[in-house]
Amino acid sequence: MIEQGVLLYTDALASFFTPEALVSVLFDGLAKASLYVMIASGLTLVFGLMGVLNFAHGSLTMFGAYLGGLVLVLIVGGSPTDPVALGGFFLAVVVVFGALGLLGGVLEWGLIRPIYDRPPLYQILLTFGLALILDELARIVVSFYGIQPIASWQAALSTKPAILGRTYDLGPTSLPGLELFQIGFGLLTVGFIWAFLTQTRYGLYVRAGSQDAEMARALGINVRRVFTVIFALGTGLAGLAGLLLAWDQAWGASVPLAAETLLPAFVVVIIGGLGTVRGTVVASVLVGMVDAITTWWFNEAITFTGLPEMFLFLILVIVLALKPQGLYGVSEVGGH
Amino acid sequence: MSLLTVRDIHTYYGESHILEGVSLSVDRGEVVALVGRNGVGKTTTLRSILQLSPPRSGRVTFDGSELTGLDTHAVAQAGIGWIPEDRRIFDQLTVAENLRVALPPSTETADGLSVAYETFPALQEHQDRDGGDLSGGQQQMLAVARGLIGDNELLLIDEPSEGLAPLIVERVGRALARAAESSTILLVEQNLGLALDLADRFYVLDTGKIVDSGSTAGLSADSDRFRRYVSA
Amino acid sequence: MFRRWVVISNAGSGSRIEFDSETRAAIATRSRAYARDHLVHLLVLGALAIYPAVYHVLTNGGDATGMVALLPRVETMVAVLYFGLFAMSFDFISGYTGYLSFGHAAFYGTGAYFVVLVANGKVPLLAPETPFVCLLVLAGVLAAVLALGIGAFSFRLTGVYFAMITLGFAQVLYVFMRDWEYLGANPRDGIAVTGLADGFRIGVPGVDSLSVAIGQLAGEPIDLFGSTLGASTVSYYAVGMVVVICYLAMQRIIHSPFGRVMIAIRENEARARAIGYNTFYYKLGTFSISAFFAGVAGGLFAGFRRSVTPENGYYFLVTGDALLASIIGGFGTLAGPLYGRLFDEGLREFLSKSGSGGGLLVFLRDSLGQPAMETALIGGMTVGELVETFLNGHAPLYVGIVFVLFVLYVPNGMVGTVRNRLGGSCAKQLPAWLSDRLTAIVAAIRERVSAVRHRR
Repeated sequence: MIEQGVLLYTDALASFFTPEALVSVLFDGLAKASLYVMIASGLTLVFGLMGVLNFAHGSLTMFGAYLGGLVLVLIVGGSPTDPVALGGFFLAVVVVFGALGLLGGVLEWGLIRPIYDRPPLYQILLTFGLALILDELARIVVSFYGIQPIASWQAALSTKPAILGRTYDLGPTSLPGLELFQIGFGLLTVGFIWAFLTQTRYGLYVRAGSQDAEMARALGINVRRVFTVIFALGTGLAGLAGLLLAWDQAWGASVPLAAETLLPAFVVVIIGGLGTVRGTVVASVLVGMVDAITTWWFNEAITFTGLPEMFLFLILVIVLALKPQGLYGVSEVGGH
Repeated sequence: MSLLTVRDIHTYYGESHILEGVSLSVDRGEVVALVGRNGVGKTTTLRSILQLSPPRSGRVTFDGSELTGLDTHAVAQAGIGWIPEDRRIFDQLTVAENLRVALPPSTETADGLSVAYETFPALQEHQDRDGGDLSGGQQQMLAVARGLIGDNELLLIDEPSEGLAPLIVERVGRALARAAESSTILLVEQNLGLALDLADRFYVLDTGKIVDSGSTAGLSADSDRFRRYVSA
Repeated sequence: MFRRWVVISNAGSGSRIEFDSETRAAIATRSRAYARDHLVHLLVLGALAIYPAVYHVLTNGGDATGMVALLPRVETMVAVLYFGLFAMSFDFISGYTGYLSFGHAAFYGTGAYFVVLVANGKVPLLAPETPFVCLLVLAGVLAAVLALGIGAFSFRLTGVYFAMITLGFAQVLYVFMRDWEYLGANPRDGIAVTGLADGFRIGVPGVDSLSVAIGQLAGEPIDLFGSTLGASTVSYYAVGMVVVICYLAMQRIIHSPFGRVMIAIRENEARARAIGYNTFYYKLGTFSISAFFAGVAGGLFAGFRRSVTPENGYYFLVTGDALLASIIGGFGTLAGPLYGRLFDEGLREFLSKSGSGGGLLVFLRDSLGQPAMETALIGGMTVGELVETFLNGHAPLYVGIVFVLFVLYVPNGMVGTVRNRLGGSCAKQLPAWLSDRLTAIVAAIRERVSAVRHRR
């Protein structure tokens, strides 16, 4: 029995270090990293500036998944041509980003802004309550339309264009088109955030405000309005993450998606060092790669189902035990 | 009419009463020094004017309009600049970015920055370095420059010479003297020599109250009027 | 308390063992003060003690549908008690030292799994028949040891990072227990007691006449003074007794010198360290003590329900529920979280169908009648459909709204707000406040009476 196990593991080890396996794990990891960047980047922006760890972030991703799926189903319909599907997707990007951003702005303005003078714990608690409300509202609406809220809603899967459904040959292995699409979308998003923060005047205000909000105010920056804009941007990004999951067989819209994306987003943001975008990108790649590797091992050799998920939290624990403020962390963030 | 009027303000940190009815005024074009020992409320007075530590009672008016109750950013936009005691450089922004934050949106960036670089050529040399990597003296120059380029009518300057080498104190002093030609300044300063050189008038603050004031003309740093309230 | 008396007697009269009159007076004053301090505790205990009887009377009257809808069932109250204990243990570390233990479910889940696994013969060296009371203590000890391990890593961190590393540990355990096949046939669905038919007994270990079995089905009714206490009522008292003992133990610790260091850490840790306390060990000790009680709470939960799932034992939302109860009841008040949980559970049961004994939904169905329910509203939706859509099992929506309102408008929670009003802890101030009011009322009445007399 034991010998068999040893043999199995050495076999698996040998097949892991083949070019095919390594390349496919690499791209799988990058695709997962893109998803992690998408679900975590909005959270990072909000935390970095406002010091608020938004517990409702996952719920907003879930809203984005349902809304995005709905837009795709309505506009694209079943078995579409590629241009229609891709065009519909980018229309959905606009709709989801706009709607969720607006929702986020309203929530910040109406609920969080009145309690900025309290310790950050209260703002975090508020988003926790908000998450309960948003999840339950989603459950009510979804069940009202006869959709099972627990199971993932697969209707949007049929709007996936054929070019993303097939695989592409790349060196020694072939890769699913959807993975490449996710990598591209993740890169675009990171590029967009980077450009916003470093190349625009507003981005400069955001960076100044997240380092020293009081000084920024004394220089004439309306930091509260910057908060609202960043919260809106953060929720918009959360929504886009949900949309991107709509074509992924492994995810799909469901109410539990809120908690399922919130926890990985926390992990990525925390091990990156709260609030730094660079840290979040690096952490996403780290977590994505570990996820891909452990998933491969689970598929090939190890029977423990929870392996990838357990490693997700193990990385969190190990990184924090070694670097108590995450990879790129500074001791104080936000502050207002 | 005074550019800035502070009338009987009371400011608290939590339950401790820091300012117990401070009143002062600054006329357009004047340089006014606010002196006193550590911990008597000089910095708090500046913070109260900026509404960073809003007074519980009393009024602050600037150019005829009420500042009390406004948000700090609105106070700043009304034309008040602040060069804080601990410099408050944005560590992770470059020197150029630190300056750009202070420029009013309408200003052309290049013009705005050139003013700062003329005054402190060293800043131009380091314009792409992070603020946190500068030496203390360079950070102070950056803080002063950031206050000067903001197109402000009134500058609130807190301890600009603190902890600086004499050579740099001199350079900062020259920059402030030049600034004094074109703008109004309320200066908090421990270095009485520097304060009296720059200022037209002075106020002495002691444990939250103004205890003396007058013109600086003919006064020297070792004057009896200061000895009681300002430790050497 | 005892030590102080001895100190007083030493100071007053050297090494004599007898107390002098001064000391006796001091003792008398102190015990009066002690009794007054605990008056509120006694009142609360009394209220809790008569609840099953009150519930029985009120819900069996003539027209009792309203009461059935409003009052939590006795079974629910059992859940309020054991989860309230968990929430109190969460408050013990989070509310008193300021370190948010966001992975506290690890200890609750461990206590619960431990009890079920022992009963199923899955824990080496422990027979399934091990007395439940011993299991509770062992569950607590196991959780406390686990906390020492987790805390040794985690207390190098502060703030959000501390909250998150403890969350990380708890989630690792959650995934592990969810997928570890050794635990049972289908660990994802949780595990139930299969190896033991009898109920778990609370009382003197091994003496059947001095202990009672708990559980909704496995518990046993008891005849007492000619009336029969149902299984739920018996469980309510048995679980309640353990919870009260645990509460008093935590309350003593908080009022001890150790507790003062805990609070000093919350208020200003750097200063506590500067005075010379090794705060790391104090934090670790507090964490471990709070984990002990969380483990006991988990053990009670498993003992009563006889099953546990990863979702209701280890998942991070279990900690979330404790946080909810603590905020609503009052963060850093110890007793508050119990009332918070009562409020939370009461609201959940009142608003959702899950409380089949009553609730608003059933009440509306019964009292509105068929015609009213079929009245069409906007968009052809009937009242019935509307009620079903918004009330059927959607309690978290309303709990969330109440929670947000608390955060916005009652940030100190129920107990904390009362405490601030009174200017001290409820146990200390409430009696004085009440007697002041009472004296004032009595004086007012007297005045009235004498005024009336004068007029005559």
